[in-house]
Amino acid sequence: MNYFIKRALAPTILAAALTATPALAQKSDDTLRVALAEEILNLDYNYTTKREYIILAQMTDTTLFDLDPTTQEFKPAVATGYEYADDTTIDVSLRDDVKFHDGSTLSAEDVAYTYNWIIREDSESNAGGTVGRWLDKAEVTGPNTVRFHLKSVYPLVLRDMAQRIMLRKVGSYDAGGTIDRDAMAQHLIGTGPYKVTSFEPGQELVLERFEDFFGEKPAIQKIVVRNIPDVGTQQAEMMSGGIDWMFKVPLDLAESLGATPLATHLSGPDLRIAFIVLDAAGYTDADGPLTNVKVRQAINHALNKAEMAKYLIGGSAEAIHTACHPAQFGCDQSVQDYPYDPEAAKALLAEAGFADGFPLELWAYRDKPVAEAVSADLTAVGIDVNLRYVKLESLNQARAAQDIPAYIGTWGSGGTADTAAIARIHFADDTDRNLSGDAALATEVLAAEQTSDQNERAKIYTNALTTIADQAYWAPLFTYSANYLVSPDLEFPLDPDGLPRLQNSSWK
Amino acid sequence: MTQTDAFTFDAPEEAEPMSPGQLMRRRALNHTGFLIGSGIIVTLALIAIFAPLIAPHDPFVQSLSSRMLPPVWDPAGSWDHLLGTDQNGRDYLSRLIYGTRVSISIGLGAATVGLLIGVTLGVVAGYFGGWVDHAVSFALTAQLALPGLLLAMALVFIIGPSIWVVIGIIGVLHWTYYLVVTRAATQRLRNLDFVAAATASGATPRQVIWHEILPNLIPQIIVIFTFELGIAILAEASLSFLGVGIQPPTPSWGLMIAEGKQAMFYRPWLVVLPGLSLFTLVIGANLMGDGLRDITAPEGRN
Amino acid sequence: MLKYILLRSLLALAVAFTVSLAAFFLLNVATDPAQAIAGEDATQEVVDMIRARYGLDQPLPVRYFEWLGGVLRGDFGESYYWHKPVAELVAERAGVTITLALAALSVTILIAIPLGALAALNPNSWIDRMALGVAVSAQAVPNFWLGLIMIILFAVMIPIFPVSGDDTWRHFVLPAFVLGASSVPAIMRLTRTGLIEVMGADYIRTARSKGFRGGALLRRHALRNALLPVISVLAVQLGQKFGGSVITESIFAINGLGRLALESILGADIPTVQMLIFVFAIVFVAMNLLADIINAILDPRIRIG
Repeated sequence: MNYFIKRALAPTILAAALTATPALAQKSDDTLRVALAEEILNLDYNYTTKREYIILAQMTDTTLFDLDPTTQEFKPAVATGYEYADDTTIDVSLRDDVKFHDGSTLSAEDVAYTYNWIIREDSESNAGGTVGRWLDKAEVTGPNTVRFHLKSVYPLVLRDMAQRIMLRKVGSYDAGGTIDRDAMAQHLIGTGPYKVTSFEPGQELVLERFEDFFGEKPAIQKIVVRNIPDVGTQQAEMMSGGIDWMFKVPLDLAESLGATPLATHLSGPDLRIAFIVLDAAGYTDADGPLTNVKVRQAINHALNKAEMAKYLIGGSAEAIHTACHPAQFGCDQSVQDYPYDPEAAKALLAEAGFADGFPLELWAYRDKPVAEAVSADLTAVGIDVNLRYVKLESLNQARAAQDIPAYIGTWGSGGTADTAAIARIHFADDTDRNLSGDAALATEVLAAEQTSDQNERAKIYTNALTTIADQAYWAPLFTYSANYLVSPDLEFPLDPDGLPRLQNSSWK
Repeated sequence: MTQTDAFTFDAPEEAEPMSPGQLMRRRALNHTGFLIGSGIIVTLALIAIFAPLIAPHDPFVQSLSSRMLPPVWDPAGSWDHLLGTDQNGRDYLSRLIYGTRVSISIGLGAATVGLLIGVTLGVVAGYFGGWVDHAVSFALTAQLALPGLLLAMALVFIIGPSIWVVIGIIGVLHWTYYLVVTRAATQRLRNLDFVAAATASGATPRQVIWHEILPNLIPQIIVIFTFELGIAILAEASLSFLGVGIQPPTPSWGLMIAEGKQAMFYRPWLVVLPGLSLFTLVIGANLMGDGLRDITAPEGRN
Repeated sequence: MLKYILLRSLLALAVAFTVSLAAFFLLNVATDPAQAIAGEDATQEVVDMIRARYGLDQPLPVRYFEWLGGVLRGDFGESYYWHKPVAELVAERAGVTITLALAALSVTILIAIPLGALAALNPNSWIDRMALGVAVSAQAVPNFWLGLIMIILFAVMIPIFPVSGDDTWRHFVLPAFVLGASSVPAIMRLTRTGLIEVMGADYIRTARSKGFRGGALLRRHALRNALLPVISVLAVQLGQKFGGSVITESIFAINGLGRLALESILGADIPTVQMLIFVFAIVFVAMNLLADIINAILDPRIRIG
């Protein structure tokens, strides 16, 4: 292949690509065409977890409260306000003008039904675990008021109300007494700014602006979501004008395509962080090198995480030294940092009796270049790394079987700027992600969720994070940044929590 | 790529009598395809063996700050990295050169594993016939129906990634050609006089197979081996491309294509070069196989 | 003949069950379907709930026999992802793959047979060498790589064809070419050898001696006889197209059985994988059977000439 000819031709080709496609058609018919790699199979967020589904649910559904991504404050949405009757009783008042997509008006009964359904044992809702932990029952107390009875004090009630439970009509899941958990999966009746007009699972979803929406109406009339699993194909579609928006774009691709007139590269912050979890408890090898704190500290010193953040993730990505995102509540930055220092790492390894290194099986499932950079850094201080880059499902399978001595994990905290959203899942004693074997730490992490006193919570998290850092249970790596490629015609505002809100976009 | 017609080979045979060895050498030297094919294979094998001497850099050494450097023909390129660097700042040319090692060793290894399985089953099925033959043809169909991707994914997971596991998987997936050919040939041979004579003189089936049948199969096995070499190399590339073959950071051409795919419109050489390397190596193996078949059995060409 | 067909069909079923048993255990050991369904940021609670909801907390043998029981009643179960019966899913997707396989086979025929025939009629000419070159190259080209190169060339640099999808006939051109190219060498060589053999056969010599020298009639006659064995190989190749569709469909984002197979294997959608193994095994065996039958029917006619 003659590169010079291609170079010379490239401008012509790009121009041809521009003129050959129905340029600006998407703008002229007011349709935003979005590509998602993840297959969309179920529109009911009460029964899903993945991030793509949150993005869609924000358009098709509403919740009692909204979390302002900038101020991290809770704002009224379907609820007009709330009041704590006592520590475990909350009264919530509702708007009376909320319409479902089928034209009916939302009532207090609908809200109570939704919450009570979620916590029912046989609902098997994905939200059931989280909500079931704190909600005893929801009770209609008036035409527009609902009372929530809590099982115990729980500081994140409003967060769950704002993010986890999508409101449904009475009988949505058990019309006529027959339970149908998939009732809303394909024929969704929500209350959000967009309604579903057609849906072919795994292929295409068409959303249209819902004119009776109670809140501010979105600018764009129609949104078409296409499933394109391959990022290369998405890119080709972007270049030929077939789509207007793609996310989770690898940095190199975003920068290359963003430099052409075919697309604009947007980069925003993301609450996702990457880290290495080390088997300090010795589940894989009771007397293995990782049970030695010096070895774990050496690993921390060996990693040039600032370079990884800068060159492999880019944008606003930064190196971190905490087991949480610096933007999260309670994420105390004053804990022990282990700066990049291969010599210190070697010295610590020698002190621990591993001057000649040791073999380490390192698992990873995401961002292969990062995995390779980590193993190169560890190899450089003498650790003999065997990299196992697998699918997430395989990694979790092996981790559940306690076969993993070290893995590169990432966590997005569901977009919640609170250390609670990352601490419990990784350090409680009931999770196989916890390889620390530290029972005191597990208790501490749970205690933080048993109080609503913010100062008290912050203090507990500082303690917990200090332990994690001193013991080097993790080797924290970096924060992510969110890279998007969008059509040059599209105005797409970015939020600090890294969650894309397509409903806020408009044409330039 | 001259492919002389089969009949022309008979001419010198009639003109002056030669030993079979001489005859084959003569045919080989006159066979352009074979010469080109062996030329390619020998060159690439030398590159693989002497990779540490030829490669300008260590293919494993990373430098994130100099990642994705362009090749020398780009205005921003430099002679230090002739073909630029990859996503982790490793020298691309060096990885390409070391990739030859991976491809050739997996090709040879897997074709050998396939040979051992296929020839064993083929000879046994052809010699004994009956239910043994049925069992073998069941195994054959089962192998063809089993998704190789699934097998690779599962075995790499269970055993752990290493070049040996990949060789084993590909070998286990590619023995049917050996089987089909050796079974048919064995069936034909066992009815011939000299085999019958050996059996009559009290030789055990084992002795008959080792001393009478296998030696006669060698030319055909060598030809199939050469073809399977190419097929196994492509299979390794496909599995690595899908992420269930060779694991990073080992340089494999299939893996390099998968890595380059992301930016293939801006840095097409990242996809084109490993693909062309694969293509050259496999074409070499195939031309050699074609040639060997013509040389060893000129009448059996198809 | 009937007994033979019956035996082969039984073999197909036996194979399908054996392979599905192997696949079932391999998949369950290597990945966690519950985690695949739950996604990247799922908490342990969610994963456990999904595990219970889909009965994945049962011991493996229990689950296999439950599945087997269903199959014997004609029920292949429900896909973990698509929330619908696997049989329905496969039926929906089969059309696209059949279209692609047939289109690919047409590409093979359109390239391989004329090329093989021309080569045979002009042995050792430049056209013969070119045909051989095409065959050797097509055999050596990595299929997935050819797909990527085709996208670079004909969908982006010179945007004649769409990059991905399966909506119109234009979407099928590039994938059919990529998938069809892999069978060109076998069919081309077979056509060429067959034709050379037939041309040397007695009846052609007789025809020649009677004055049909190089005539169009002769060529047609010879070609027809030479193509008979090609047909049976084409049947086998068609069966292999289904297997080959895995990578091609994934590269071109075609919603057929191949892509479904890849995604359900990588995503641990066990019921779907299980049924696809049945489908592929049966298609494969059926095509081979068809080839055998064609051979059996054609054999005497070839010998009679």
